[in-house]
Amino acid sequence: MTATGTRRLKVAPALPTIQAACHGPAGRGAGEGAPVVALAGAPNVGKSTLFNALTGLRATTGNWPGTTVDVGRGVWRFRAGDRVCACAHCEGTCAAHQPSEFTLVDLPGAYSLDPISPDEELTRALLVDAPAAERPDAVVVVVDAAHLARSLHLVCQLRESTHRVVVALTMTDVARQAGVEVDSHALAEAVGCPVVVVDPRRRTGLDNLTRFVRESLARPRPTARVVALASDDLAREDERFGWIEAAVDAGTTTSGAQRMSFSDRVDRVALHPVAGPLLFLAVMWLVFQITTTVAAPLQDALDGLFTGPVSDAVRAGLGLVGLGGTWVEGLLVDGLVAGVGMLLTFVPLMALMFVLLALLEDSGYLARAAVVSNKLMRSIGLPGKAFLPLIVGFGCNVPAISATRILGDARQRILTALLVPFTSCTARLTVYVMVGTIFFGRAAGTVVFVMYLLSILFVVGVGLALRATLWRTMGAEPLVLDLPPYQAPTLRLTASVTWTRLQGFLRTASGIIVVTVCAVWLLQSIPTQQGESFGSVPVEDSVYAAGARAVAPVFAPAGFDAWQTTSALVVGFVAKEAVISSWAQIYAVTEPAEGEDPGDLGAAIMGAFEESSGGHPLPAVWAFLIFLMAYTPCVATVAAQHREIGLRWTLFGIAVQLAVAWTAAVAVFQIGRLFW
Amino acid sequence: MSGPLSRVLDAFGAGASSLTEVGERTGLAADVVRASVEHLVRLGRIEAKALAAGCPAGGCGGCASGGPGGSPGCGAASPSSARTGPVLVALTLRR
Repeated sequence: MTATGTRRLKVAPALPTIQAACHGPAGRGAGEGAPVVALAGAPNVGKSTLFNALTGLRATTGNWPGTTVDVGRGVWRFRAGDRVCACAHCEGTCAAHQPSEFTLVDLPGAYSLDPISPDEELTRALLVDAPAAERPDAVVVVVDAAHLARSLHLVCQLRESTHRVVVALTMTDVARQAGVEVDSHALAEAVGCPVVVVDPRRRTGLDNLTRFVRESLARPRPTARVVALASDDLAREDERFGWIEAAVDAGTTTSGAQRMSFSDRVDRVALHPVAGPLLFLAVMWLVFQITTTVAAPLQDALDGLFTGPVSDAVRAGLGLVGLGGTWVEGLLVDGLVAGVGMLLTFVPLMALMFVLLALLEDSGYLARAAVVSNKLMRSIGLPGKAFLPLIVGFGCNVPAISATRILGDARQRILTALLVPFTSCTARLTVYVMVGTIFFGRAAGTVVFVMYLLSILFVVGVGLALRATLWRTMGAEPLVLDLPPYQAPTLRLTASVTWTRLQGFLRTASGIIVVTVCAVWLLQSIPTQQGESFGSVPVEDSVYAAGARAVAPVFAPAGFDAWQTTSALVVGFVAKEAVISSWAQIYAVTEPAEGEDPGDLGAAIMGAFEESSGGHPLPAVWAFLIFLMAYTPCVATVAAQHREIGLRWTLFGIAVQLAVAWTAAVAVFQIGRLFW
Repeated sequence: MSGPLSRVLDAFGAGASSLTEVGERTGLAADVVRASVEHLVRLGRIEAKALAAGCPAGGCGGCASGGPGGSPGCGAASPSSARTGPVLVALTLRR
């Protein structure tokens, strides 16, 4: 072979054997009679780097005949001066003594000889299925010292045959950094073949590797490792892993001081049964506190912008085209600008919260929070897997309902889909913040935090109630979480995740909320009494108010039966953001009370609660927030439930949500008004 | 004494919730635990699902907002953009 550099081979289909391909007419290896050495190993262990280091530019890469798998072939040259064979009467003719080069075949990455990919199939074909005479003369297995157990599986399987095996141990520096020291001599003793430490990037250890391969070739093929007959796949693999465990134990020493990584040290607290949940709660409280505190001035500024200059500009523009004072002005100013504009004031708040959550996610902490939540779910007997859609539900209930598909059992899927609506999505967050700011000022962050805690309690409580009644026979399913190490958050990922979520919020505001605002405006424009015209009716006399008044008595025991509050909750069935736009619309078209600032939406809402609660506004507000958190999230969630669990269970879920929400709200108000 | 794979499976069944806990329950080195779990996934005894907060585990195809052919309906480039960070992997026993 005279190739210099790498080129693609175009070869005819042939038997998948190393000897046939290397010593055939094409002559892509070393000279005739040179031993063939195969280089094997799992992907990403430094195999190709070692191949390049051993062959230099004397290599070619191409598809193996009859396959699409890339295989490299090259010439491994070395000085042949030293006699390494132990032949009693060698006259320089044995394979180990004579050659000054090997044909080196870089087999495709394979973790095991039980193939699950074309790469592994070819490796097996060349090393196991080929006739004995067609197999390579020796196999160098590249083993990653930092993932020793994983890499040794191939060694273990090869030792069950008569292959001459030499282990090339890479990544010892990485293993050392992780506190693992590999003793190559002890490891060689344990695995029953030579182990050579190499660093292909720095080209160290290559001479030793050459020497060990030559010595190995000078010896007869070893006897195969004796393996007891196994009853099934698991028993056979268990035996292999027992061998691997023994080899790892014998060949490695772990530094106690270094054993714990940074992630391990942090996880001792983050995953502690008591400290873990407390830390999680503290972190989430901090997120909500920072969000509400820092975003408040921006929110006020945007609110002033929409109620002031933007509304004035639209009015002025409509006046110029002769539409001032008409229903068009009502729709645009009192409807779209007031409703959608109020929702848009939450953009800074949502953006800030999304940034903070993205930072937590990117750092790896949210994965720990998932473990903490998982433990909670399991402690109350819910299936381990159920926590996954529930976690997604805190972002948005709609994909969370779809995520219940990961549950194999239909009963678990239904139960989880019924619990998802109790997870407090980000749409509800906007209402918590608005109401919390109006009634609790700077403690709004704590109010939001409490609402999330209550959301978790509702999930647990309703889950327990359903399990104790309808789901008594359902078993728990084991779930183990593989945690990623902590890392410094990256700007790109944080910005990407934040923008994606903010886009979702803006899409809702510009889509479904615009439609809802128009529908609400339409209902507010239709009079209930004769003598009033469309578009100029006071909202109190509109079809909208009449409908709300019909429903309002239901909420009297909960202390929030003002028709304005009731109507906002009814509109909230469409989407929770619509609660805010609905309030903004109602109070934008309502004449302010004497001495009240026309733009002071908070004062108007406060007044409604004060009146409906009979002087106990705070218990009524808590009752309202709890009802808002627990009742049906939005029509999109209902549609998703219908698709996933059918109409019957969806209606059952809505009934449960309304019953639980109403009962809890009434209980909170009735008990609360005794104290406040 | 049973082999490492059986011990890992037993730890799953006994309620271990993280690989660290599996290591503590089995007495196996972290490296052996990880290799065992990977191998059990290969054998089909354990199911592994990468999770990213905000996206369903099935990606766009498993999302109610997903468009035709599994395209993202939420406006994101793809769920993979949110999956380049630390990814939590849920491991469950396959029935």
